[in-house]
Amino acid sequence: MIKHPHVVTFTLNGELKTFITRPDEKLLDLLRREGYKGTKYGCGQGTCGACTVLMDGRAVYSCLLFAMQAENRDVRTIESIGTHEKPSEFQQELIDGAAVQCGFCIPGMIMSAEALMQAEEVYPDDIVREYMDGNLCRCTGYEKIWGALRRVLDRREAAHPKK
Amino acid sequence: MKLCEFIRPASLAAARDNLRELGPKGMILAGGTALHFMQDHTPVTAVDITRLGLSFIKPEGDFYNIGAATPLADIQRYRAPRWAMHEICRRISTHQIRNVSTIGGNVCRVFPWADLPVVLLAMDARMAIYSGKEQEFGADEYFASQPAKRFLDGNILTSVKVPALKAHHGFGSMKVVRTQASFALVTVAARLELAGNVIQAARVAAGSAIPFPRRLPSVEAALVGREAVAAVFQEAAAQAGRDAPWRGREGMSPEYSRHLAEVTIQDALERAATFARGRTE
Repeated sequence: MIKHPHVVTFTLNGELKTFITRPDEKLLDLLRREGYKGTKYGCGQGTCGACTVLMDGRAVYSCLLFAMQAENRDVRTIESIGTHEKPSEFQQELIDGAAVQCGFCIPGMIMSAEALMQAEEVYPDDIVREYMDGNLCRCTGYEKIWGALRRVLDRREAAHPKK
Repeated sequence: MKLCEFIRPASLAAARDNLRELGPKGMILAGGTALHFMQDHTPVTAVDITRLGLSFIKPEGDFYNIGAATPLADIQRYRAPRWAMHEICRRISTHQIRNVSTIGGNVCRVFPWADLPVVLLAMDARMAIYSGKEQEFGADEYFASQPAKRFLDGNILTSVKVPALKAHHGFGSMKVVRTQASFALVTVAARLELAGNVIQAARVAAGSAIPFPRRLPSVEAALVGREAVAAVFQEAAAQAGRDAPWRGREGMSPEYSRHLAEVTIQDALERAATFARGRTE
């Protein structure tokens, strides 16, 4: 049996990167030790969604993935979404709507919303809830976050009405 | 469990060879979510089967053939005439988990709270296992006891074959949870075959509030030959106590579990009957 070296190569925020890892290292831990600290450690057991990243365009919990599982995949973290100077549309709506309190859940919320906007063309509430059902917020009661997201989605639907 | 090595075999045969060589130190990895919750510190090697072409959904004659490494999200999104599997998959855990967790992972080692074994028992699905050659097992045989023992020799679940529902056949599944991410308090699935409004055949299964997923033969017997109406469903559901030891848990007495199961069985039967009467998607 050929034993693979503990090296993992994947596209991270658009750049092909190779990392030394251990078989039991979680993707979340690799990302954070490499400086991608926007991805948060929350529950560590796949419940809260603070660690959400996109893998091949799909939202996943990086705390429930071994780093080795990312081999040859396309991984995107919150660092790929916007900047302080130029936030994404959803980030700007969160700011304008005063929708952020402690902010710990927000990177995960944004990544789940990104998966939604990449995959779907229309955004009925039940579909939006399905995409956002794995992200918990213990501060806001969700209303302002939901409102900010709904405004973005409504604009997108208005700009590209379904034929 | 401590993951000490990670290998990616190039073929199903190589994966089986790896697993046979590793014995109890080998662990199949597809979605891998369950591996994070294993409490002991036994060193194991993960054998990654996610790149062996086992992620697919194909209509094949009277079956939908679902690859064992197919994520639940793919099953949730799939649409075909008289396809019913999306209904339960959209209710399993969260979006992020459904993107990773696989049908195979849900049925190779069955936990008491697992939803898919209940659904596959009611649907009379068939499980295909690679053991050098491919063998198939019906759901009744496969889920008669913990299926994990079937894989001790390095055998690998390759696909799950779910029967396509014919005209006048209906399926309904219900899952009761406290929150979207929590495990089910009770899961029920029912499949009915109607002639007019008379039930010709019924398969009803339950899980989560009992030690292991199973069919409910007394409930099924109380349905066959009778009208598919609410009063009959209620009478049949009341037989659930004969078939399984309903368990209590924190905040729930055994009596409450049984009552919850009875109500859930009625709801699942109503859904199955509605499906059989003409739901086309």
